[in-house]
Amino acid sequence: MVNGCGGPAGFAGACIAGLLVFASIFAPLIAPYDPVAVSIIDKLMEPDAAHWMGTDQSGRDVLSRVIWGSRASLAVAGFAVLIGVTLGVAIGLFATWVRGSWLEQAIMRVLEAVSSIPILIWAIALVGIFGVRDAQWGPFIVSSETKLLVLLGLLYIPTLARLTYVSALGEVGANYVAARRLQGVGELGILFSDVLPNCLSPVIVQATLLLAIGIIVEAAVSFVGLGVQPPTPSWGNMLASGRDYLISGEWWLSVFPGAAISLTVVAFNLLGDGLRDRFDPRHSTSMGYAT
Amino acid sequence: MTSLLLRRLGFSLFSLVVVSLLLFVLTRSIPESPARIVLGDDATAAQIAAFDRDHGLDQPIVVQYAAWLERVVLAGDLGQSFTTGLSMNRQIADTFPVTMELVVVAFVVASMLSIVLGTLSAFYRDSPIDYFARLLAVLGVSIPGFWLALVLILTFAVDLDWFPPGGFVPLSEGLGPHLLSIALPCFCLAVFYLAVITRMTRSSLLEVLNQDYMRTARASGLGRGRLLMYAMRNALLPVVTIAGVSFGHMFGWALIIEQIFNIGGMSRALLTAINQRDYFMVQTVVMVFTIVFVLANLLADLVNAWLNPRLAAVAS
Amino acid sequence: MRQPQSVPPKPLLHIDGLRIAFKAGRQWREVVRGVDLSVAPGEVVGLVGESGSGKSLTALSILQVLPPEARIAGGRIVFDGTNLVGLSRKAMNKRRGRDIAMIFQDPLTALNPVIPVGRQIYDSLRTHQTIGHKAALERIQELLEMVGIRHPRERMRAYPHELSGGMRQRVMTALAISSNPKLLIADEPTTALDVTVQARVIGMLDRVRRDLGIAVLFISHNLELIAEICDRVSVMYAGKVVESSAVETVFETPRHPYTRQLLRCIPRLDGASGPMPTIPGLPPRFDSELVGCPFAPRCDEASDRCRAAEPPAWREPGHLAVCWEAA
Repeated sequence: MVNGCGGPAGFAGACIAGLLVFASIFAPLIAPYDPVAVSIIDKLMEPDAAHWMGTDQSGRDVLSRVIWGSRASLAVAGFAVLIGVTLGVAIGLFATWVRGSWLEQAIMRVLEAVSSIPILIWAIALVGIFGVRDAQWGPFIVSSETKLLVLLGLLYIPTLARLTYVSALGEVGANYVAARRLQGVGELGILFSDVLPNCLSPVIVQATLLLAIGIIVEAAVSFVGLGVQPPTPSWGNMLASGRDYLISGEWWLSVFPGAAISLTVVAFNLLGDGLRDRFDPRHSTSMGYAT
Repeated sequence: MTSLLLRRLGFSLFSLVVVSLLLFVLTRSIPESPARIVLGDDATAAQIAAFDRDHGLDQPIVVQYAAWLERVVLAGDLGQSFTTGLSMNRQIADTFPVTMELVVVAFVVASMLSIVLGTLSAFYRDSPIDYFARLLAVLGVSIPGFWLALVLILTFAVDLDWFPPGGFVPLSEGLGPHLLSIALPCFCLAVFYLAVITRMTRSSLLEVLNQDYMRTARASGLGRGRLLMYAMRNALLPVVTIAGVSFGHMFGWALIIEQIFNIGGMSRALLTAINQRDYFMVQTVVMVFTIVFVLANLLADLVNAWLNPRLAAVAS
Repeated sequence: MRQPQSVPPKPLLHIDGLRIAFKAGRQWREVVRGVDLSVAPGEVVGLVGESGSGKSLTALSILQVLPPEARIAGGRIVFDGTNLVGLSRKAMNKRRGRDIAMIFQDPLTALNPVIPVGRQIYDSLRTHQTIGHKAALERIQELLEMVGIRHPRERMRAYPHELSGGMRQRVMTALAISSNPKLLIADEPTTALDVTVQARVIGMLDRVRRDLGIAVLFISHNLELIAEICDRVSVMYAGKVVESSAVETVFETPRHPYTRQLLRCIPRLDGASGPMPTIPGLPPRFDSELVGCPFAPRCDEASDRCRAAEPPAWREPGHLAVCWEAA
């Protein structure tokens, strides 16, 4: 179990991450109060036995809001990575499949070009111009959260596609693949049954690190008021509204959501590092951190 | 060497074209029409058509892009904002230097400190300074800069009153107040990259110290200074790449930091434009960020090519 | 003329009971278990053995450039009257490169990839000698010519990757002899090279050391090479010297079965056909417990005595063998 995560640090990361996911799924059962229930009499109470993290300017329980806020963070980060991995791996494999043709060159050059996009700026700007308000798209209501996670997922594609491509290309040239070819296995069969499973480990490592980045980006976007909209709690918008009370001394409004973000990011980073140590001990540092 | 330079330069230009085209298409695929935003809901169809004609919005998107590119590249004219009618060149000129200063100061501080710290950490492995550097590396990448900013404001501006809690004091009002006003924002911006670059320097140097050529250098009896130089010439190669990427990213994070410290840089320009639904201004600001990002990567590549003779060999 | 029977009175290098430990997990295991070796001024001594026999570690320990997971666990390394074991870093640095120099196996990884080769020689030169910039440049050209590099003026600006393997090993040699060392340690200097290049580099090494009168400790797994250039040879097996003598003696009357087997493995050009002989089995793993003669499991002459107790040293003037059957 511990070794599966690449050592004790990775295991600790996995445990914390697991707890967070658990908390976000079962938020209605765990949270002691309704996260949006306003109670003016209870406003701005310091942390005590009844409200472990105090209450905010509307008398809402900060602990409950932090627990509910994990939903927005984890959902955005998680689904964005899911989108990025699905499309990125597909594109990377496709480029490997058409290797040697002009199409491979075209795909890879364009991917390289768009990987020079600064993710945070694009996320903020695009969510901004596509509108913070919920949009109607067919039968679906598209909230700003959904817009953010889709955008973020698309922005992850270049990194993941290039990673898949590079490791798939290495696998395609390996001797065991040549042996499979001699057995008469078709190119597509090799790609999915041999190459894909063997080139997934760097993708998993990178995906874990992108989860951490997603948490930070979601918080940052909500912080500037373009992500999750109040009164729905998210760590980012809690920080933003807590900022105004910092000067007057109500520190708990911003310190707790900030600590929650940090803890989550530490957890995913530890897990990602641990996984990398396990899968690829030679490259124990990468560029995964820079958002 | 020259061919490598040209190739990198060409690729950077290609990146900019692809990215700007993408951005152009995205900003023009928004359901709301700019004419509606500017003229309001009461505007007649004729008024809207006139508006679109005036701004070239009735043209196919490729034609619009070509016209935009021509104007930006040949005349250096970013155009005018829809909503305010102000020159965007002017707005960028007002806000860009502020952001640039924050980022450059933070970058210089972060890279210098981190290279020193990473080097000490690798040379004195498992010593207190190594533990300190490793702890800093983990904390630095995990504490979001904007939360750190809030904690620092609380401690150093509110409680201790050493720094102003926000606002930007221009250099014209004195060096002291100016530096005080940018100290906390720069620090918050620098911490993350300080951690990233320290980590990179440490691991890269540790790898280099294990190489055969370092054994040769030790066996030749070279002094500490020479040994350090021999190691660093190799160890810095990946660090330079990371530093280049970091510079671009810092620009992005500066946006959030400026918001918190209430500094009127590019963030204000961008967020104001978003609030006013001024897509063209948004597009311009994002493009400026992207250019900085691409240029920083290009510069890192060039420094690398200069430091690493093998790169030039591979390219030619 | 070689004087196989005469042991020089005062050796330049005298290794005495050298033990080197290697970190295996949390434990330290001795992989070099009491090596005695001496090199007289101007003499060429070969050290031969399979990989893992401890010959390279022995060589690295002389300059104290062992990898971090290895350390000298005991014994003395006396060079020119001074015991190098336990010497301070500063005192050691005065000898490294100046009195004792080393040539490594793979010249591509052993030369700094991002610094021009001339500059690497230059730095070593100016570390050990008070020599002006111009004089140093001239000296580098002279050195490069000495090791058989043409157009030294252009070559000194080249980076290692721009040179061929043989050329790199010549540069490595020039770097090693730059400060006129008394002892040159060559750790498998031609193993990474093509056979044709090998011969030329060996020829160059032999010429250079004769011209400068340098003593050489030549480490190799190749007995043929040893026969070609060495005066004396020591054979190592599992961290110990098992046979040591003048080259002729070892080739003509080897006393240790391991040496005999090694000799049998030299490819012959006299038309003898049949499969290439090999030594069956593998040397003991460095983390295994050794009982008796470590070679016993692979030895076709081994008896119960060999498997039960470590063999004693058999000596004759100028000849040593560690084997129960030697006498």
